[in-house]
Amino acid sequence: MEQNENTTGNGTLKEKARNMNLIIAAGVVAAFLVYYTVMSLIAPSRKLNEIRAGFGTEQEGEMIPGSEYFTDSAFVEMMIRKTFLQSRISMAETDSVYITLNLADSTANLEISGVAVHTAKISSLKMSRILRRENDVVISSMLASPMTIVKDYATIRKEPLMVKIAPKDTSEFKPDVIPDTSDYEPVNYILEMDSGIRIFVYQETDTIAKDRNSLFYFDLRDRMKSVTGSLWRTLRFKVPEYHPFIKIRVPKSDAKVIYRAVPRNGQIAVYR
Amino acid sequence: MTSFLNNINLMEEILKNRILRIAMPVGASLLALLFLFAFLIYIVPGIQELEAGRGTKLVSNPELTADPGYKKQISSLSKDIQRLSKKYASYTSGQSYVVINTTDNRFYLYRNKKLIREGFCSSGSYTMLMAEGERKWIFKTPKGRYRIQGKTTSPVWRKPDWAFVEEGLPIPPAGHPSRWEYGVLGDYALSIGDGYLIHGTLYKRFLGMPVTHGCIRLNDEDLEAIYNTLSVGSRVYIF
Repeated sequence: MEQNENTTGNGTLKEKARNMNLIIAAGVVAAFLVYYTVMSLIAPSRKLNEIRAGFGTEQEGEMIPGSEYFTDSAFVEMMIRKTFLQSRISMAETDSVYITLNLADSTANLEISGVAVHTAKISSLKMSRILRRENDVVISSMLASPMTIVKDYATIRKEPLMVKIAPKDTSEFKPDVIPDTSDYEPVNYILEMDSGIRIFVYQETDTIAKDRNSLFYFDLRDRMKSVTGSLWRTLRFKVPEYHPFIKIRVPKSDAKVIYRAVPRNGQIAVYR
Repeated sequence: MTSFLNNINLMEEILKNRILRIAMPVGASLLALLFLFAFLIYIVPGIQELEAGRGTKLVSNPELTADPGYKKQISSLSKDIQRLSKKYASYTSGQSYVVINTTDNRFYLYRNKKLIREGFCSSGSYTMLMAEGERKWIFKTPKGRYRIQGKTTSPVWRKPDWAFVEEGLPIPPAGHPSRWEYGVLGDYALSIGDGYLIHGTLYKRFLGMPVTHGCIRLNDEDLEAIYNTLSVGSRVYIF
């Protein structure tokens, strides 16, 4: 009987200890989540400061000429046009393919040496709030300057290379088969720019379940990768990286043309 | 009988309790993990987007526009924009040029900045041919800006090494008669450099498909139109 009471007492103690451990673990997780959230909230402000340092009204501690007019709409409009034109000219000096996103008239253009070779209509546009709300001159100047693609992630291959082993003699030779040109692959991709901006290009139509699922998993994978990076930085007491984004939807065929045409380290300028 | 039923009820009760004792924490842990996952993946980035930044309200101030300094700045900007626009417009010359879309395998011929003809073409197949001795060739059409470097009528194809390797034939020495093939490039050929040509084809059913070794193939009528429209030095834009 006494032994039974002891056992019951031990059981209660064990349960209490277990509950206590659970409470402590939950507390630690909650504290970490709060810390992570706070650090994540600091990230956009940091990015803004970076942008201001590079494109703001002050450079090396001095106000740049004309910056007193940066609140005037006509002046700002002209400044942005000038920056965008300068960017297009600098990109046109190369023989390579580059992209210009004209958000004002909802077009994505492929250009080579100043000649617009392909135009796609942007059917929907989403932007990071800091790109929409920050001082127009600062953000627009940054976007209008040529940005270089440093990384890309896509649901299609950039170069759909097929390997063919040469026949040893004529008896092994087989004529080429007609290529499969059916357009079944969903086309979604992310272009990561040197300025930290990420441009998401999604195919316009996702009425087929397969396309919707593909986009969902593509987006999820990207989010998970980004959260892993952020968690890792936070654990090392560093502010996570914040990447302002521009998400556009264009027709599937145009999305494919743009992705395949632009080189790996191609350039993009955005006019808004 | 009653005792037997009681025992069964008791056992059922014990089983229920055990299942609940296992299922409850597992369920709660799964829910917590799901919440954690959603919090990190969707909620935190969402909260980040609430950061609006300090926006500057743009206004049109009559006092400012009357300021001589402002007028000077606007005039200078206006001149810059005009100069830059002129420079940019000069890139699209009034000369004839052709644009090749290698993804859709289509071409667009322009004269005086106006589209005068469009149609299907064939471009590089993106095949990598691998031969013995680590030799390999990638059959893709180069992208960017090119110029017509030469024009020929009734072109003869000088078969490169890969044309023999591809068919399992021994590679003949340079200048060997088997290297020359007549009538396979159509009536005209326009060179864009590095051995790449715009030419005709016997395989017209493949137009609109990526099947070539890097050259651009056209049907007879389109090829003739391009040959007659473009001159040496005309631009070719490939993307």
